[in-house]
Amino acid sequence: MCLPPRTFQTVIMKIHEARTRLSNLGCFKDVGVFIDTYKGPDALEDGIEVTFEVRETNLLGAKINTSVGNNEGSVSTGGVLRNVFGRGEEASCEYSHGTKRTSSFHTTFTKPFHNEASTVLSSSVYQQASESPWSGYKELDRGILLSLAFNSAPQVQQKLVLDGVWRHLACLSRTTAFAVREQAGHSLKSSLRHELKVDRRDDLVFPSDGVAFTIKNELAGLGGDIGFLKNELDLQVNVPLPGDLVIQGSLVAGHLLPLRNNKTHCITDRFLLGGPMNLRGFEMCGVGPHSDGCSLGADMYWAAALHTYSPLPLLGRGGSISDKFRLHAFVNTGNIGDFVLTDDYKQNLRTLLQEVRLSYGAGLAMSLGGFARVELNYCVPLLVQRGDRPSQGLQFGVAASFL
Amino acid sequence: MPSVLLTDSISVELGAQEPWPNDVKLFQQYEVEQILLPDNANCLAVQAFLKMCQLNHTLEMRGNAEHMSPSGRVPFIKAGAFVVAELDPIVAFVANKGVTLTERLDTTQKADMRAYMSLVSNVLANAELYVSWVDPATYEDVTKPRYGSVYPWPINVFLTRQKRNQVVRRLRVLGWQQKTLEEVYNEVEHCCSALSERLDRQDFFFGKRPTELDALVFGHLFTLLTTPLPDNRLATIVRSFSNLVKLCQVVERDFFEKTNGGGSSSGNGEGDYDKLEDLNQLPM
Repeated sequence: MCLPPRTFQTVIMKIHEARTRLSNLGCFKDVGVFIDTYKGPDALEDGIEVTFEVRETNLLGAKINTSVGNNEGSVSTGGVLRNVFGRGEEASCEYSHGTKRTSSFHTTFTKPFHNEASTVLSSSVYQQASESPWSGYKELDRGILLSLAFNSAPQVQQKLVLDGVWRHLACLSRTTAFAVREQAGHSLKSSLRHELKVDRRDDLVFPSDGVAFTIKNELAGLGGDIGFLKNELDLQVNVPLPGDLVIQGSLVAGHLLPLRNNKTHCITDRFLLGGPMNLRGFEMCGVGPHSDGCSLGADMYWAAALHTYSPLPLLGRGGSISDKFRLHAFVNTGNIGDFVLTDDYKQNLRTLLQEVRLSYGAGLAMSLGGFARVELNYCVPLLVQRGDRPSQGLQFGVAASFL
Repeated sequence: MPSVLLTDSISVELGAQEPWPNDVKLFQQYEVEQILLPDNANCLAVQAFLKMCQLNHTLEMRGNAEHMSPSGRVPFIKAGAFVVAELDPIVAFVANKGVTLTERLDTTQKADMRAYMSLVSNVLANAELYVSWVDPATYEDVTKPRYGSVYPWPINVFLTRQKRNQVVRRLRVLGWQQKTLEEVYNEVEHCCSALSERLDRQDFFFGKRPTELDALVFGHLFTLLTTPLPDNRLATIVRSFSNLVKLCQVVERDFFEKTNGGGSSSGNGEGDYDKLEDLNQLPM
C-alpha cells in the first residue's frame, strides 16, 4: 500500500494514530508495530514496510470481587464475552449478593459503532437493591435500559437513555415514619433521559484548571404510574492561583415538575440534600423536610460550594503522594424545599434564598483511583433550619460525585 | 421472627401510656374494586371489634395498604405514632389501653374463645384463601382482575402471579393446597356447624355481650354472605345455619348501622348494608 507521507516523522505519527485506533477497538490485548525497509518488486526508493502485530483478547473473561458500601458488604461475580461478533461487541453479566440478603445483577450488551462520534449503543437488564437508612426505606429495582452515547464534539458527551423500571419500596423497620410508610409498594416508571456532559478540566478529582458541567433532563410517564419532568444541573469552575493554589466553585441544582395526568411520584424520585461530600456539616441527607427522623426529600434544591485547594506542605512538588492529597478549606451553602416559582424573578430569588443553609470548614482530601475522593473534614454548620440534622466536628466521606 | 415480637411488645408497652387518640385510622385496600375475600373478612372483623369497643376510628382505603402494613397483611391501624396490624395484635394493643371485651369471662371461657378463634382462623381464613387463589374459576374471574387493578401493565401480571405463589406455598405447608373444592366446602360446613352449636340460641357466643370471637366470626361470615363469587356455595353453606346469619344481622344492626350516623365511621361499604337487608328475604 502506498501512503503519501514522505518523512519518517510523519510515518511514525501515522503509525501511532493507527495503533491508537486499533487498541481503542477493544478487540486486541496488545498491538505491536514492526517497521522495516521494503524490498519487494514494486518497491519505491526508501520504501518501508509496516507490520501491525495484534493479539486478540480472550473471548471469555471472569471476575470476582468483594465490596463494602452503603452499610452492606457484598460479593460479586461476573463474566464477560468480548468481541462476540468481531466488531468489539461485548456481553457481560454480573451478579452480586449482599450480607443483607439483597441480590443484584446486571446483564449488559454493548455495541460500539466505530465512527467519528464514537457512538456506543448498549442495552441492559438489571436488578438492583439499595437501602436508604436516612429515609427509612429500602428499594428493589428491576428494569431494562437502552442507551445511546455519543460525542457531539471533543469533550462534549451526550447520552440518550430509555429506562423502564419496576420499583419496590419497603420500610426498613417499624420506626419508619408514616409519611414514608405511605409510599411503600410497587410502582412502574418508564422514562426518557438526556444527558449532556462537557468536561474541560485537566483532572477528574483535583483539577487545577477548566470548567465542567452536566445537564440532565428526564421525562417519566411514557407508561406506568410514575410521571414527572426532572431537570438537573451540575457546574464546576476551577481557577488556578499562584503557589499551586486552586479556587473551585461548584453549583448543583435540581427541579422536579409533577405531571398532572393521574401519575404520581414518590420519595425515590425526589431530591435529597446534605452529607459529607455534598452539603458538608450536615448528616447524610440531613437537610430539608423530615418526619420522625426520616428524610422526605423535596421537589427542588440547589447547593453551591467554594473551595480553596493547596498541595500538602513540606512534600515538594510532583511526587506521587503529593499528587494524591490536597488540603482544602470550603464554604457550602444550599437550600431544599417544595418551592413554588412564579414569573417574578426577584420573588423567586427571595424564595430560593429563604431559610438557606450555610456551613464552612477545612480538611484533607485524597484521590482514590483517579475518579473518587475521600475527605476528612472539620465542619461548622452556621445556618441551620428546623428539622435539619447538622453535624458539627469531624466528618468523613467517600464519593465519586461531590460538590 | 423474634425481633418482630420484641418490637411488637415494645410498641404495645409504650402505647399503653397514652389514651386512645382521636385520629386513629384503619387502613385497607379499596373496597369496591380491589379488596379480596380473605382481606375483606379480616378488615371487617377488626372494624367490628373496634366498634364493639366503641373506639373511634376512620377508614382509609389505599391501593398499597398491603405493602404499608408492618406485617404485610391488612388491616392495620395507625394510633398516634403506633402502627399495629391484624386482629390479635390490635386486640392486645387495645387491651393495653384498658379496653377489653372479655373481662367478665372466666379462664375456661377465655380458653374456649381462643380455641374457637383459632378454628375460624384456621378453617375459614384458609378456605377463603383457597377459593380466591387456588380455585381456577374464582382466580381468573375475580382475584386476578381485582388484585392487579391498582398496578399498571405489566407489573400487575407479575405481582398477581407472585402473590398467588406465596399463598399456594402457604396453603401447601398447611395441607390445604391438596384438597379438592368439595373437601374445602365440607371443612367450612363443619366449622360452621361447630360455631352454630356453640352459639346455640344466644345473642352472642358468650351471652349478652359481644367478644372478639363475635367480631371475627362476623367478619368472615358477613364477607362470605355478601361477596359475589362465580360459585356461591360458600354463601349457601353459611345461610343454612340460621343462628349464625342472625348473629351477623345483630352485629351489623347494633354496631354498624347505629354508629353509621354517629360519625365514628367514615360511612364505608354502605353497599354491604343493602346486601344484608336482602338476606332477610332469602329462604333460610
